[in-house]
Amino acid sequence: MTTPRRPTSTTGAPRTLAEELRGRPDDALAALLLARPDLINPMPGDLTQLATRAGTRASVVRALERLDRFALQVAEALAVAPDPCPYATLDALMGGDERTDPRVARELPRAVATLRDQALVWGGEDRLRLVRTARELLAPSAAHPSPTGLGPSVAEATAGMSPGRIQQIIAAAGLPATHDPVTAVGALTELFEDRTRMAALLDAAPADATAVLGKLLWGPPYGTVTAHPAPHLRWLLDRGLLLSAGPGNVVLPREVALHLRAGRAHRTPEPVAPGLAPVTEHAERTVDATAAGQAFTALATVEELLKEWETGGPPVLRAGGLSVRDLKRAAAVLDTTEPMTAFWAELAYAAGLLASDGEVDERYAPTPAYDDWLQLPTEQRWTRLATAWLAATRAAGLVGGRDAKARTLAALGPDLDRGPAPEVRHRVLALLATLPPGASVTPDTLLARLHWERPPRATTGPEEDLRTRLARWTVTEAELLGVINRGALSAHGRALLPASEADGVRAAWRPPTDAELGAAGVRAAALLAPLLPEPLDHILLQADLTAVAPGPLVRPLAQTLGVLADIESKGGATVYRFTPASVRRALDAGRTADDLKAFLTGHSRTPVPQPLAYLIDDIARRHGHLRVGAASSYLRCDDEAVLAEILADRRSAPLRLRRLAPTVLAAQAAPDALLAGLRDMGYAPAAESAEGDVLISRADAHRTPPRTAPAPVPEGPPAPDATLLGAAVRAIRAGDMAATAERKPVASAGPAPGGLPRTTSADTLAAVQAAVLTGTPVWIGYVNAEGAASQRVIAPVRVEGGFVTAYDHTADEVRTFPLHRITGAAELADDPA
Amino acid sequence: MGEALNGPLIVQSDKTLLLEVDHDQADACRRAIAPFAELERAPEHIHTYRVTPLGLWNARAAGHDAEQVVDALVAFSRYPVPHALLVDIAETMARYGRLKLVKHPTHGLVLECTDRPVLEEILRSKKIQPLVGARIDPDTVAVHPSERGQIKQTLLKLGWPAEDLAGYVDGEAHPIELNEDGWALRPYQKQAVEGFWHGGSGVVVLPCGAGKTLVGAGAMAQAKATTLILVTNTVSARQWKHELVKRTSLTEDEIGEYSGTRKEIRPVTIATYQVLTTKRKGIYPHLELFDSRDWGLVVYDEVHLLPAPVFKFTADLQARRRLGLTATLVREDGRESDVFSLIGPKRFDAPWKEIEAQGYIAPADCVEVRVNLTDSERLAYATAEAEEKYRYCATTATKRKVTEALVAKHQGEQTLVIGQYIDQLDELGEHLGAPVIKGETTNAQREKLFDAFRQGELSVLVVSKVANFSIDLPEATVAIQVSGTFGSRQEEAQRLGRVLRPKADGHEARFYSVVARDTVDQDFAAHRQRFLAEQGYAYRIMDADSLLAGEDA
Repeated sequence: MTTPRRPTSTTGAPRTLAEELRGRPDDALAALLLARPDLINPMPGDLTQLATRAGTRASVVRALERLDRFALQVAEALAVAPDPCPYATLDALMGGDERTDPRVARELPRAVATLRDQALVWGGEDRLRLVRTARELLAPSAAHPSPTGLGPSVAEATAGMSPGRIQQIIAAAGLPATHDPVTAVGALTELFEDRTRMAALLDAAPADATAVLGKLLWGPPYGTVTAHPAPHLRWLLDRGLLLSAGPGNVVLPREVALHLRAGRAHRTPEPVAPGLAPVTEHAERTVDATAAGQAFTALATVEELLKEWETGGPPVLRAGGLSVRDLKRAAAVLDTTEPMTAFWAELAYAAGLLASDGEVDERYAPTPAYDDWLQLPTEQRWTRLATAWLAATRAAGLVGGRDAKARTLAALGPDLDRGPAPEVRHRVLALLATLPPGASVTPDTLLARLHWERPPRATTGPEEDLRTRLARWTVTEAELLGVINRGALSAHGRALLPASEADGVRAAWRPPTDAELGAAGVRAAALLAPLLPEPLDHILLQADLTAVAPGPLVRPLAQTLGVLADIESKGGATVYRFTPASVRRALDAGRTADDLKAFLTGHSRTPVPQPLAYLIDDIARRHGHLRVGAASSYLRCDDEAVLAEILADRRSAPLRLRRLAPTVLAAQAAPDALLAGLRDMGYAPAAESAEGDVLISRADAHRTPPRTAPAPVPEGPPAPDATLLGAAVRAIRAGDMAATAERKPVASAGPAPGGLPRTTSADTLAAVQAAVLTGTPVWIGYVNAEGAASQRVIAPVRVEGGFVTAYDHTADEVRTFPLHRITGAAELADDPA
Repeated sequence: MGEALNGPLIVQSDKTLLLEVDHDQADACRRAIAPFAELERAPEHIHTYRVTPLGLWNARAAGHDAEQVVDALVAFSRYPVPHALLVDIAETMARYGRLKLVKHPTHGLVLECTDRPVLEEILRSKKIQPLVGARIDPDTVAVHPSERGQIKQTLLKLGWPAEDLAGYVDGEAHPIELNEDGWALRPYQKQAVEGFWHGGSGVVVLPCGAGKTLVGAGAMAQAKATTLILVTNTVSARQWKHELVKRTSLTEDEIGEYSGTRKEIRPVTIATYQVLTTKRKGIYPHLELFDSRDWGLVVYDEVHLLPAPVFKFTADLQARRRLGLTATLVREDGRESDVFSLIGPKRFDAPWKEIEAQGYIAPADCVEVRVNLTDSERLAYATAEAEEKYRYCATTATKRKVTEALVAKHQGEQTLVIGQYIDQLDELGEHLGAPVIKGETTNAQREKLFDAFRQGELSVLVVSKVANFSIDLPEATVAIQVSGTFGSRQEEAQRLGRVLRPKADGHEARFYSVVARDTVDQDFAAHRQRFLAEQGYAYRIMDADSLLAGEDA
């Protein structure tokens, strides 16, 4: 689609955009629909409708926003160029008289082709036309200064000026007097556009005047003057080099500015994307290994957060989300900042590991999927998080900020979805993927490139625009996740990208499918696995009552140790401290002192120090006295009152319960009978395993009902795939054939007496809009406010807000017709019979 | 994780470093990280170091740069070091030296900056404003010479440590030589003196009994200038004097004692903290001692006990060389950083077990004896007022009996019984038939009793906390602690220090701590033992009953 189109001969030149589209091959149409998917939602009936829709304001704004900087600059230049504009003129506007930058001329065909592909520009090479809406959006006006910094043309600026004043100006500029203002303005324009004569004129300018021109040169082109301007300003005003723009205001006419700029529409045309440089090289190995270390930390952090929340998780705010206090508390648990905590929570949420439980007092809790996730191998746990992050539209970076109504955005709350998020994340990683392994660039370099590819929208506040912020967050978050390290993409991070993107090929972005993400996950996991530290099955015990795990521990060991000792410091290793309280906790969980000592002996590389053994014994000594007896089952409960209640209940008699300790009952009934009996009594008992080794009670680990992860909420319609595009193009063609085949008979049969033309409102709108573009009259049926029907021939000028402004040939006046009162519209026959 | 990442060091996310001591590269690693990381715990297998901003800045002051620090971490780390941590280290270190205290040829002491926004930032601080004078140029501001210490301390708290390039005054010269006749400074003592002298000022941390006095004497011999020595009490002052006369070229007449009883000011003057902090009519009349001579060196013995008024005054002494000596730089009031900023950074630190391995201090067997209180005592304890609880459980009769049994068990060995409460000690003294040294004992009487103990004429001595510090009793081999100042870690270490002087026969020292089971006494004991446990002293815990039954480990 990038080959510049051959200039169409003048005779066969298309007269409208619709006509040109009709002449384009199918794949070009498909490319247009792919680039502007909003055009097929809903599906246009034919090419006229397609062209009309492509000219609507919303669609054009959307298309302009998606242009790269050079294409946008070209569009801006076209907006200040004559319409239609020959290619050579455009080239001169972009490159200037001196053609200082050869890259401009080289890249211009590409930019024009891009605009053409997007149906923003049409017409032959000698008559390039920017679609009218785009021209209106980009052309300079007093309210919207053009990004080029150019002002209105002489003709526009002198509109409304008295003919006498115009004659004075051309006289002062040294031109002969003319008969009418139009030719006078033409002569003045001609003078300003003539480089030689203009140079001679400006040579005579006082030095102060030149300085004033220099100030207005690159815009904004407006300045203020007093009622009695200084001599040098007067000199400029006299010659029309500055023109009045309302009381006290003057403007530098476009032609003058262009002369002074040596013909350039832009101060700095940016024909090519800024390169990703300077590059910092890191050892590929270090990057991958450190990123893997960080990936491991990320998993540990998520696990720690969810472990914290599996018992008595934080409540869900009424408006949704997590309260600031709960976020702070979680940050303290994770020993990190609140923004980072918000990121981890959002990550778990996006991966479907965390959700609200949907109960009456709604709380956040891990989902059943979390339990499955825990069982996965480490590398797969990571890819699960990383792919969820990549595809999510939720932006954790927004947490703590305020929305449009100045309400604080809560973590896990509503309004955090930002459509462009996945695209920006992919693009940032894809750009990094174009660098050699281990190489990194600064975030600002990346941003400069992203800004070229998609110039940022101007924002009102001090905040950067959304895509910029998303890009910054992407870099930070990817670093936290271990996707990138030291600013360089890791091998497993690279594997997350679709194959084409990883090679740096840039295509129109579409969200990856689940299958693609899955495949990427498998690739990434395979690369990550060998980099992860091997879990250890031993610890080192020390006499100061600490234990050091010099690396990650195998899960059962870590779990038991986590009960028996408090974690003192985390990182590559874990330092545990044994305290009386922690030992008691282990005993509470049903362990015995011998059991614990055997456990420590079994897992320690060093002998169990005497103080530690003594500590365990001493605590155990107080923890309970030994009793031996026979019972079929037992019943434990931390709440003594519950046990007392059960004992007192007559229905418990068949279970033959006996109180052994305040919190333990022995039963002569078998465990299943005991369970059933208790359930009949309305309790919810849980069984313990016969070995009793892993007694970390699952009963109080809270889970939500099964939950699905939040689906990404993309902005705008999804990008169509090849099948849909093909179908769309065929449908439009077919509709077009039908429309054009039908049109002639209707047009000829149209003026049949008495009958009002009847078309659907969509067709009416399309016909009227098409007429605006072509400037041809149409025949309409119209019902006035009193209900009287009439037929009129009108030449529409503008279609806006449900009204058609048109010259009414029937009444010979310009008037406005509400669209809903138009019963139908039809083109007049080409040859008035 | 590959051979390069198999080092002895593990970097934790809270910026502690775990060093596996049995690893081949452990020694090399220790040397590499010692300049910037503080040894926090040194138990048997894994030592813990902590990276603090202060440590990093001290490393900068000693001429190390961020690259070296990062290299050391990366080279020895077993797992990849989080990049954020390395960046943080580099940024922290980059804060040092943006501000410099220098001597300006015309304006005297000035604060210079290489980064103007930093100067603007700190000059806006309310705490800095009273300390500085006129702005000399955009990058320089005058500093009142008397506020040199204060401004350094304040800048440190603001996170922009100033590099002090203003130098030291030499002080009044006075010839001092070490008299190395039949003895010599031990290698670590030499290192300590060199470390101190090279750094200018600072703190030397050595275990009790490892010869800190000699480090002081070595420093004086380097300075060859008039010296002010600050010690904890009069007995200690006498010991310093005695030691200096014996080990250096100084004579009795050159050394003055400035204490409650005597007020001599000589080229070398030994003063007690007590006399310096005596307050009369709202002022400290004796603080002018600091100005009474042009001291070239100020030595602070037992710097962890430095009282607050001396802190304040030390801030004004920044132009003089300062040497702090201590065994345990743990202050329960958390003012360690004030010691570092006012006296100077830690210049030398040796783990206790390392000195023990070299044979300079005696190995010690630490035993916590758990005493079961009788039922009536437990009841009385349970009903005691909260503030009386510790006193009650620490002074129970059962404990006394156990203590007596311990003394009897070690009959014939030089035994110290150390306690906190005078009535408890008096009672013990009575039962054991041993003299008691307490606050009201006159200095003459104390010296006499200590002498008798050294000579072996007395084998049991009951002492209160007056004997916590600086009492040289080389022959004591058994110490029995019956009560203490709540959970003071440094007191425990100092008391152990009483029995750590190497014994003539290489005998092992024994340290008992008698603790009432299931009371706050036990909790305090656990806290007290933490410092020593972290230094690698493994406390055995024994039940009093099994001990009395004659079992021994």
